[in-house]
Amino acid sequence: MSEQTDLDQLRSQVRAWLDANKPRDWRALSRTQDDFVKTQRDWFQKLVKAGYAIPHWPAKWPGGGRSLAEQKVIYEEIARADCPRLLLSFVSTYHAFATLHECGTPEQQDHYLPRILEGETWCQGFSEPNAGSDLASLKCKAERKGDVYVVNGQKIWSTMAQFADRCLLLVRTSSDGPKQAGITYLLMDMKSPGVTVRPIHQIQGDEEFAEIFLDNVEIPVSERVGEEGAGWAVANATLASERGLTLMELSYRMRGAAWRIAELIRKNGREEDAGVLRDFGKLVTQLDVATAIADQFLENRIKGIEGAGDASIVKNTYARALRDYSLLGLRLGGLDEQYVKPITFGDLNTGNWMADFMNSYAWTIAGGSDEVQRKIIAEKMLGMPKEPKGWVL
Amino acid sequence: MGAVIERQELHDAAQKAFPADALKPNRDESWKLVTEMGWLMLSLAEDAGGLGLGRDSAAAIHYEMGKALGTAPLIPAMATVQAIGAATDLADQAGWIERVTTGEFVTTNLSAGDVTGDGDALSGTLPAVPDADMASHVMLANPGRAALVPLDAPGVTVTERPLWDESRRLFDVTLDGYVLDPALVMATGAAAEALTRRLKGEMIFALAADSLGGANTILDLTVEYLKTRKQFDRPLGMFQALQHRCADLKVLIGAAEALLWSRAMQPDATMAEIGGLKAHATEVYRWVCEEAIQLHGGVGLTEEMYCHLFMKRANLNVQLGGNADLWRELVGREALAAAE
Ligand SMILES: Cc1cc2nc3c(=O)[nH]c(=O)nc-3n(C[C@H](O)[C@H](O)[C@H](O)COP(=O)(O)OP(=O)(O)OC[C@H]3O[C@@H](n4cnc5c(N)ncnc54)[C@H](O)[C@@H]3O)c2cc1C
Repeated sequence: MSEQTDLDQLRSQVRAWLDANKPRDWRALSRTQDDFVKTQRDWFQKLVKAGYAIPHWPAKWPGGGRSLAEQKVIYEEIARADCPRLLLSFVSTYHAFATLHECGTPEQQDHYLPRILEGETWCQGFSEPNAGSDLASLKCKAERKGDVYVVNGQKIWSTMAQFADRCLLLVRTSSDGPKQAGITYLLMDMKSPGVTVRPIHQIQGDEEFAEIFLDNVEIPVSERVGEEGAGWAVANATLASERGLTLMELSYRMRGAAWRIAELIRKNGREEDAGVLRDFGKLVTQLDVATAIADQFLENRIKGIEGAGDASIVKNTYARALRDYSLLGLRLGGLDEQYVKPITFGDLNTGNWMADFMNSYAWTIAGGSDEVQRKIIAEKMLGMPKEPKGWVL
Repeated sequence: MGAVIERQELHDAAQKAFPADALKPNRDESWKLVTEMGWLMLSLAEDAGGLGLGRDSAAAIHYEMGKALGTAPLIPAMATVQAIGAATDLADQAGWIERVTTGEFVTTNLSAGDVTGDGDALSGTLPAVPDADMASHVMLANPGRAALVPLDAPGVTVTERPLWDESRRLFDVTLDGYVLDPALVMATGAAAEALTRRLKGEMIFALAADSLGGANTILDLTVEYLKTRKQFDRPLGMFQALQHRCADLKVLIGAAEALLWSRAMQPDATMAEIGGLKAHATEVYRWVCEEAIQLHGGVGLTEEMYCHLFMKRANLNVQLGGNADLWRELVGREALAAAE
């Protein structure tokens, strides 16, 4: 009861603060990548100062020490107020934080965590051209020479690496034994000699991710997280660090953006078209479903309940709803949507329906693809037999 | 039987001229090649000096252009050549036929316009006019009157509308008090109506053929990618989950093609029948492309990969020539009436 009162109180506090401080024109200010990055940095600093940027960090940090229930309230309010999502600092405040907090040395924590709050950003250098779904097959090679690792190889699809100060890097230190056993986790300064970042041109005219080339890059051994060869375990311990908050937030935002479809229906004078209304009705229910499952997942986490595969259900439900949302917009928008329109960075429900459609793949491909999630659901949740590991022709 | 063989010959010739491994060929060179190949004569009536071949022949060409992401404006061109040949009132019809079968391009709008006018002074916009930059005239197919409008005439403005689809170019043609040239009127009254219906039918059919050609190429490319891309120490194509996905797409395309070629042999197919086919074929194409990107993984989201070229063309095909909502409603109404 009193816990509920506390949550209600927090909610009104956050709401009042957002009313007074939320950036109102961020979409108009996010038409180019550089402007978007600036908007993101400003907003992050504001949230840090207000104590709403890192509710999941321990209490010794300003604004930290919040329970999951409190975190949920904060995210709900930020989504409700239609503020920018913290994209640029996402890897820093979640993955980098969790890595350092759970597996880093005290020295690493003291060095890096304060800098994250000052605005240092991190990117994730896990995937490689030939190690996508099969991440454990990564080849980027690190050789120990005295007290440095000399790293050679290539990373790809690293979100906003072109703006990052540092990188969470998975490298191969040994090719003996199982693939997972030879992986080591390093913290890399993106300004190190030998690091080249090349943004990737994407199909919506955006450059959201980049390739990272590593040519004899020297990384001090003191920048290793966990033991040599323990990188796979470190990566897995920290990958799930955001605990469903993102998908809850995104579902709320998507549900909140249903008005964009309504607007299209009115604009085209189809308010009395029963076929269109039925399709809209179907979509709205689909958005409610996505919101409900994301919400339920988080509520269960707050109670300490989580089953294998639960997170996969949430992700695939959201991803399909997001795709279908953009598809209905495309259909109702007609020929107009086939003409190129300016894009808005940092938002998935922008009403530029072709761009929204293309952006929706981020959720069916990244972070364990739709297919990989199905495999998890089939094997871990339904208990179906696993596909054999090796194969012979 | 004879027609089927001829169609195969056209497929072969078109594949040779526009191989599917050279996607999105140069437009102006393509246009020259297309004229040299004589494809603009294919559906022109025999008494107008053409080959008078059926819809299946034109469809074979459009299908192959879809496969290679063709950039030459064959969809409006083949339709307007046919319409010019069938025009009842056009002055100097023979001269027109000569010119439009040897390289002069007459375009027309692929989406409904709102051109109206008192007497002969017309105002309004013709949207989605392909390649107006290389056309001499646009064919205006209004109920009651079909006519050619010179694109450089006073009162005519041409504006390019940049598209997501990189393989096509569309323009808005705006008329502002443009006065029709009586010598360029093609038909009026019932004759104009028939000409208009025929023009639209040809173009909608062409979009269906283009879509299924494109769907075939992108499926082939996706299957090829899955055969070579290795994850978990094996080609991705070895995972039955992905085999089934591709097999489903093959089923969709194969079945849709059966309808395409069957309707192609049906010269009296109604607008609803052609429109229903178009709605289905374009939706199949769109879905195959949606899946293709997913099956490629991250690389499918990059500009240098081919997936998006097909996806963007497919999405445009869905909207050109009337969208699925329009055609499906008509099919439903007619089927309902027929079951009375
Ligand atoms: C928007 C975006 C942002 C990203 N950000 C980052 C980042 O910051 N850092 C980073 O390291 N990486 C990032 N990634 C990379 C992402 O993790 C990979 O794209 C993803 O793991 C898939 O790998 P892949 O692209 O190589 O596809 P592949 O693994 O080659 O997969 C191709 C297709 O095969 C399917 N498939 C694969 N294995 C199986 C199987 N066993 N059974 C059935 N189907 C299968 C896949 O689902 C997919 O459809 C990002 C990707 C995207 C799209």
